[in-house]
Amino acid sequence: MLGKGGVGKSTVAAALALSTARAGGRALVVEVAGQQRLSQLFSAARVGDDEATELRPGLFGISIDAERATEEYLAGQLKIRPLVELLTHSKAFHTFAAAAPGLPELVTIGKIWSMAIALRPDGGAPVWDTVTVDCPATGHGIALLETAGNIEELAAGGPIRDQAARIQEVVSHPAATGIVIVARPQELAVAEAIEATATLRGHGLPVAAAVLNGVHPARFSASDAPPLRAVADAPGAVGEAARAALRHLEQQGDDTAYRTRLAGETGLPVIDLPRVVRRRIDLPALELLADALAQGLASAGAAA
Amino acid sequence: MIADLTTRRLVICCGTGGVGKTTISAALALRLAQSGARTVVVTIDPARRLASALGMTGLSDEPRRVPADAVLGEGAGELWALQLDAKATFDRLVSRYAADEAARTRILENRIYRHLSGAVAGAQEYMAVERLHELVEDGDFECIVLDTPPATNALDFLDAPQRITRFIEGRALRLLLRPGAVAGGLGWKILHAGSGTVLGLLERLTGAQLLRDVSDFLAGFDGMYQGFADRATAVRTLLLSEQSAFLVIAAAEPDSLGQAVALSRRLTSDGFPLSGVVLNRVHALPGEPPAEQELADALAAAGAEDPGALARDAIAAIADERVLGLRDLDARAELHAAIRDGALIEVPSLAHEPVELPGIAEVAAALGP
Repeated sequence: MLGKGGVGKSTVAAALALSTARAGGRALVVEVAGQQRLSQLFSAARVGDDEATELRPGLFGISIDAERATEEYLAGQLKIRPLVELLTHSKAFHTFAAAAPGLPELVTIGKIWSMAIALRPDGGAPVWDTVTVDCPATGHGIALLETAGNIEELAAGGPIRDQAARIQEVVSHPAATGIVIVARPQELAVAEAIEATATLRGHGLPVAAAVLNGVHPARFSASDAPPLRAVADAPGAVGEAARAALRHLEQQGDDTAYRTRLAGETGLPVIDLPRVVRRRIDLPALELLADALAQGLASAGAAA
Repeated sequence: MIADLTTRRLVICCGTGGVGKTTISAALALRLAQSGARTVVVTIDPARRLASALGMTGLSDEPRRVPADAVLGEGAGELWALQLDAKATFDRLVSRYAADEAARTRILENRIYRHLSGAVAGAQEYMAVERLHELVEDGDFECIVLDTPPATNALDFLDAPQRITRFIEGRALRLLLRPGAVAGGLGWKILHAGSGTVLGLLERLTGAQLLRDVSDFLAGFDGMYQGFADRATAVRTLLLSEQSAFLVIAAAEPDSLGQAVALSRRLTSDGFPLSGVVLNRVHALPGEPPAEQELADALAAAGAEDPGALARDAIAAIADERVLGLRDLDARAELHAAIRDGALIEVPSLAHEPVELPGIAEVAAALGP
């Protein structure tokens, strides 16, 4: 899930995982920037960074701490205990691990990759049916997705390069990975979604679909406008309700225009998610969104 | 609050993504220009929408005058805008401060640099600080409004310079890559302890060539480290002074509010001059919905085809607006409890997204006195 800040990436990621879990699959949601949105959405305890936390039956969450994961990774690569000790006690090593260009991003995407390809010890089936990644906001999210390719190009040899190449193979393969661009029906979010799609494609990364989150339900049609306008000037609550309806009708039109533009300029299937008007996004709201997402994915799949 | 901002040199708008930071920054800059200051708004907006919203074909890394005379009014200052380009700023810095032509080329053509300056997280925040320093030093503007880069942690912007200078100038890393220079020191002993050096270990992981590129990159910056550190310190001093003002932008959604409160507290406790919080897109609370029959009768009289269904839908629409209005009342109460009096500006939710210059002017007017 990639998109501008505030468009609802975490919510959409959780809803997607919920729809997998409800269909009997095992779904993992990965948070990468320590926002702890998952624990808020599911009113659960803090989501762990070592092991996946089960939030609902079949739905798990994990939160990756890039700095810590980088140190673990580098140490893990060496395999020889005394060398690991030497490294982890070196201040230079910590500096390198924290700030080496792209290394924390590589380790983050690497950790996600290892979870995505993990197989059960028994029959060899995948551990997770879907792994949904709640990326950081557009710019940093793209950096995360591009990092394996960049490192593969930068480093001529060594285990890091080999690993980057293996990660890149999965991240760039359209059968394995689908980048979902999330937008709201708003100018800046849609413009950023269109631009991000072009950038990702330029780097050979598979963009699978766009989600337009927060679409006003189609309550009114154009033929409702004249009677509503006639009543809008009425005093009190009657006029006020008619004016609210007219605003809603206008926003329906805006939403349609944004969907047309998003679909037209990206060529992606666009899945609408309804606007959920609540004080906060809770489990019933997520269930609604999961339904809409499952339905949207099914019809996008049928169209493809 | 706006009157207070006119005396500041630098106004920093921070907040998480999606709260309308770019729009508020532009509106604020317009207000400051209206009050007579020669103002520049520095945006990082990657979708370049601010440009068209301001009636311009595009923005660049150099300030451009915004054709805003129609909304600026009599006796106003000027409104300028620039879009931060991390790579261009970094390139310019290297060109200006590199010891000589050879060092310049060595950095600009280094592969690590090409990735670091363009793509790596943190580079953009760091460049925002460098660009601010340039603008302040040039002294062309009485007021600079900065739209900070989007980040999960809105304070990344303040921390990024330290993080990235730590990498570029980090003594530890220089020890690591050029151990000969400090032979005999503690670092040297650690590096050469045991069966292999840290350098050797890292080389096993990254391959010799990547490490050589990193080393080369750092060597290229020799003599520039102090400048990076000095400018970062200068900007930090300015940010901490009364010449600056921080505004936290928030939306009424629960996540955004919690982050805005946390951000305000941290700014205050770190000693940054926080002017207040802008609560953006506040929904008005409409009255109670009408009785369905009464509305249906009125719609029937106005010729509606199915007045009953239309009345139900209209009541659903106003019920939505009430939920949002009530939510925003709570948001307001929560913010009032968390920040000092008089430090909250509310911007109403507009019927249309403010994407054109008159829309920006509408937001500017809504910012209050």
